[in-house]
Amino acid sequence: MRYGSGAKAVAALEAIDLDVAQREFVTIVGPSGCGKSTLLYLVGGFLKPTSGSLQLHGKPIAGPGRDRGIVFQRYSLFPWLTVAGNIAYGLEEQGLPRAERERIVDEHVRLVHLEGFKDRYPRELSGGMQQRVALAQTLACNPEILLMDEPFGALDAQTRRLLQDELRRIWQRDTKTVLFVTHDVEESVALGTRIVIMAARPGRIKEVVTRGFDVTDGDEFDANPAFVDLKVRIWRSVKEEVEAARASGASP
Amino acid sequence: MRARIAHGALRLLPLFLVLAAWQLAFAFGWLPKWLLPAPSAVASAFKALVLSGELASNTAASLARAGIGFAVAVIVGIGLGVLMARVRAIELAIEPILLLIYPVPKPALIPLFMIWLGIGNFSKIAVIALACLLPVVVATFNGARSVDPVLLWSARARGTSEHRLLWRVVLPAALPQIAAGVRTAIAIAIIVLVSSEFISSESGLGFLIFSYGGVGADDAMLAVVLYLAFLGYLLDRLYVAGLRRIMSWHAFAH
Repeated sequence: MRYGSGAKAVAALEAIDLDVAQREFVTIVGPSGCGKSTLLYLVGGFLKPTSGSLQLHGKPIAGPGRDRGIVFQRYSLFPWLTVAGNIAYGLEEQGLPRAERERIVDEHVRLVHLEGFKDRYPRELSGGMQQRVALAQTLACNPEILLMDEPFGALDAQTRRLLQDELRRIWQRDTKTVLFVTHDVEESVALGTRIVIMAARPGRIKEVVTRGFDVTDGDEFDANPAFVDLKVRIWRSVKEEVEAARASGASP
Repeated sequence: MRARIAHGALRLLPLFLVLAAWQLAFAFGWLPKWLLPAPSAVASAFKALVLSGELASNTAASLARAGIGFAVAVIVGIGLGVLMARVRAIELAIEPILLLIYPVPKPALIPLFMIWLGIGNFSKIAVIALACLLPVVVATFNGARSVDPVLLWSARARGTSEHRLLWRVVLPAALPQIAAGVRTAIAIAIIVLVSSEFISSESGLGFLIFSYGGVGADDAMLAVVLYLAFLGYLLDRLYVAGLRRIMSWHAFAH
């Protein structure tokens, strides 16, 4: 995967080889500029790889599709639609009858605890509420795979933790396949059953770690020694990459 | 509600102060009559214009011209702006022409338009339409061009086909900018309207200003000018109020 063309092209990703099984929750963590979002956009079909192939159930990915739902970091809601309108968007595009749409919208408004905000516009909501709507908007389309591009990255710590718990619960209930990009090491361990650590310039997979224990929401899982050990181990690995990127003159 | 009225009155205060100073200057004899007529004289001239029905009939003639020119500009402008934003060949073909016409004072084109389209209403409406077209095209083009790719991707991932993107995402996302361009067009419509009515016209507010000015009836002339200012202000306020209702999802700056 390269950006630009000719001598100025920058290799964004190189030699990525990753198989994701159904119902897996894979988190992708790495320094900024390692191309983790690019990887997600490739799976989403928004970008095309310059070489190599992406396959879904053995078939190449040709473009965006309803089987893959995406949640962006922020500002991805349609500002001219209400909360209900945003959640119903994909259902309207599918041509579902009105009664059916309303039923699904109500169900998802409850799922993300936004009862009473159905008729509000995105600008009237806090960042955390907007991300809840974005999650509901994506889940309402019932995609097989959830692509999440640092969806909680712009939120404050408390809101982030609450939404992580909600997402984990939704994943456990619906057992969807999730690809979750983050720069937050703790988040990668708190959510992912498998954690992909990426290296920068060119972006590549450095290491893939399987989390050997369960994380259940609500309790103090972050005090569990196994959690702490894994977090420290992954942080060390990511830190090497951050330092390597800094040494090569890249930000930060 | 009372607070809003009080706020509105406060905003008009500078205007009343100017008006009061003007009348006082006249009363103390600091302002010779040949320089500027007294506000009271302007007021009574205005009253006469209203009572004779002259103001109403000429307002109707003017609003018809401006309204048609403006409406044509909005429809063509939005269409052209979207086409330019979506089709590279059309952008390349039209952009240099637009950039060339934009700074030309449109009233300067009136004589040319009269040669082409005659001295009647048609040439006046055409000049108004051309002048109003430019801000609408430019705003629509910029708005449609600068739609956040995240919104386009989001729509695509939720099943919107490439050609439906225009209606579902591009136009609504560009609406705030289009609305701002249309607002500029309202002011331009009035400016160009009056200029076009200065030249070989038998009706309209521009004609009134020109003919009263020509015979030295400064008070009546000024009454029409102030009336035009008020009319423009009113149209702008009505437009913004309408927008706020229709586009309640958008955070307006003013």
